[in-house]
Amino acid sequence: MAVYKRRYNPYDGPLTPQQSRFLVLTRYALAELFRSRVFVLLFVLALVPILFFAIYIFLVNSNAVQLVVQLRVAGGLAIESEFFFTLIMIQTQLAFLLSCWVCPTLVAGDLVNGALPLFLSRPFSRPEYVLGKCAAIALLLSVVTWVPGLILFCLQAGLAQGGWIWSHLWMVVPIVCCSAVWILMLSLISLAVSTWVKLRIVATGVIFCAFLVPAGLGAIFNTIMNTYWGSLLNFSELFRLILFRGFRLESGFGGPVRFEQIPLFAAWIMMILVCLSSLYILNARLRAREVVRG
Amino acid sequence: MAPTIELDGLEVQLGGRTILRNLTGVLNSRAIGLLGPNGAGKSTLINTLLGFHRPSKGSVRVLGLDSRRDGKALRALVGYMPETDAFIAKMSGVRFVRYMAELSGLPPDQAMERAHEAFVYVGLGEARYRLVGTYSLGMKQLAKLAQAIAHGPKLLILDEPTNGLDPPGRKRLLELVCEIREASDICLLLSSHLLRDVEETCDQVLILRDGRIASICDLAEERRGHRKFLEIETCGAEPAFAAALQSLGCECALFGNGRMKVVLPDAVEIRDVYKVAAERGVQIRRMNHRRDSLEDIFLNAMEQSGGTSGRI
Repeated sequence: MAVYKRRYNPYDGPLTPQQSRFLVLTRYALAELFRSRVFVLLFVLALVPILFFAIYIFLVNSNAVQLVVQLRVAGGLAIESEFFFTLIMIQTQLAFLLSCWVCPTLVAGDLVNGALPLFLSRPFSRPEYVLGKCAAIALLLSVVTWVPGLILFCLQAGLAQGGWIWSHLWMVVPIVCCSAVWILMLSLISLAVSTWVKLRIVATGVIFCAFLVPAGLGAIFNTIMNTYWGSLLNFSELFRLILFRGFRLESGFGGPVRFEQIPLFAAWIMMILVCLSSLYILNARLRAREVVRG
Repeated sequence: MAPTIELDGLEVQLGGRTILRNLTGVLNSRAIGLLGPNGAGKSTLINTLLGFHRPSKGSVRVLGLDSRRDGKALRALVGYMPETDAFIAKMSGVRFVRYMAELSGLPPDQAMERAHEAFVYVGLGEARYRLVGTYSLGMKQLAKLAQAIAHGPKLLILDEPTNGLDPPGRKRLLELVCEIREASDICLLLSSHLLRDVEETCDQVLILRDGRIASICDLAEERRGHRKFLEIETCGAEPAFAAALQSLGCECALFGNGRMKVVLPDAVEIRDVYKVAAERGVQIRRMNHRRDSLEDIFLNAMEQSGGTSGRI
């Protein structure tokens, strides 16, 4: 049908599968994000450390380059679990910064001008809306966390000799799973805050606060009560503990882990609670129509 | 064919207050108007039809689908134009409508084609590449209409579609709505404060008051029943004039001082009344030709449902 035919025509063509329709949201969200120069700059910056890690792997595995740059690699520069632990820690912190920018941008546009009823008046549910937005965030954060982690793992496996890959294959699990857990938590917290605070800049600030303020309060609690349970409010440290255990480390890269007394299950419970709280907020805030009580 | 809307003891509570109370009725016309004073529950009813609010009692079926059980299937058949602002400011108009069409299940290429068609159809063809945030209020209303029709719904729900429009804009929008109604087998539910909007576009009217049904009336039938209704003021030979009119098949009521009301049958034209008056030597000093308008029906419904006429 051509656009010059100025009359209303009903549609009787094919429809896309209902199950995959949330990906429309993901596709449009990513397209809108990559239109922003600021986002592209942040995204590229988040990938810069990967380049240094790749160079490092290359240096460690290339005798010729070591000779040229006169680098000594005796013992200290081995590519082991600590290397990937550090890589994932750095990248997940960058992912946090990225999510602070991305999530409010994704949601604010829909909420500020009341577009949500348009989404929900279609054969499209609130869980699908959250799923679509989370998928967009997860894709982006995956590209800066576990995907480069796996690429560097493969690079190291290709360059190393003597069956390195088989003795280190177990590291794929913490690289992927721990990153996925962090991405899930980041996505849910950031989305929950973004639906609560509709203004984009304010939402970015509140997401920062959602991570930093509890961490600060936890530290104060630890100092006053002379305990370590306050660290449960420090989400980054909880993730660090989970990642630390995932990589079967005894001491942290660049210093000992500060709260080894916290049991792993407590960290998991706390993270699950945070995710559930975020889902509760999303359920309360993502409504086509707000109901004023009283 | 299933009725457009079936209400079966529908009750909706929001924030601890009962907004809709025991609504029961069948609306089977293709163009239904939803009328009522502020706070009567019109928007709540629309939101319940769309599944945004859950009924606390009873049920509502739209095109044969239960709003609670078959929510998704129902929404697949509906195009919704909300009363309030609803757009994505940083998207171009055509991209916004394409996005919405894709969410309704259209493949991307079809959605793009339909988005262009819808934009040209509503008269925003020249502005379709502009950001929606830069549109005027009237253009935003038309963009909302475009997104509501792009996926070819079976039921078009328009909540106060002419809000904020200037007279030409209002006229254009109502023309579009009538065209859409005539061009296909689409059903229409139009909620408005403006009686004329409903009168021009709808065949059946649901009037709400305080969350209850004040009246369900078939406008077409009402129009047929009171096609020619005259208020006449005469001078001289009043009973003879009335008798002559009655002999033509008219119904007459005399109120003294020359005032009378006459209901003309289909076959009798106004010129016949003048002819009879001339034959009988009766002067007609004043004549009002009016229909029993929707305003009368509305005010009647408001009074019958126990109160003064509602504010509209």
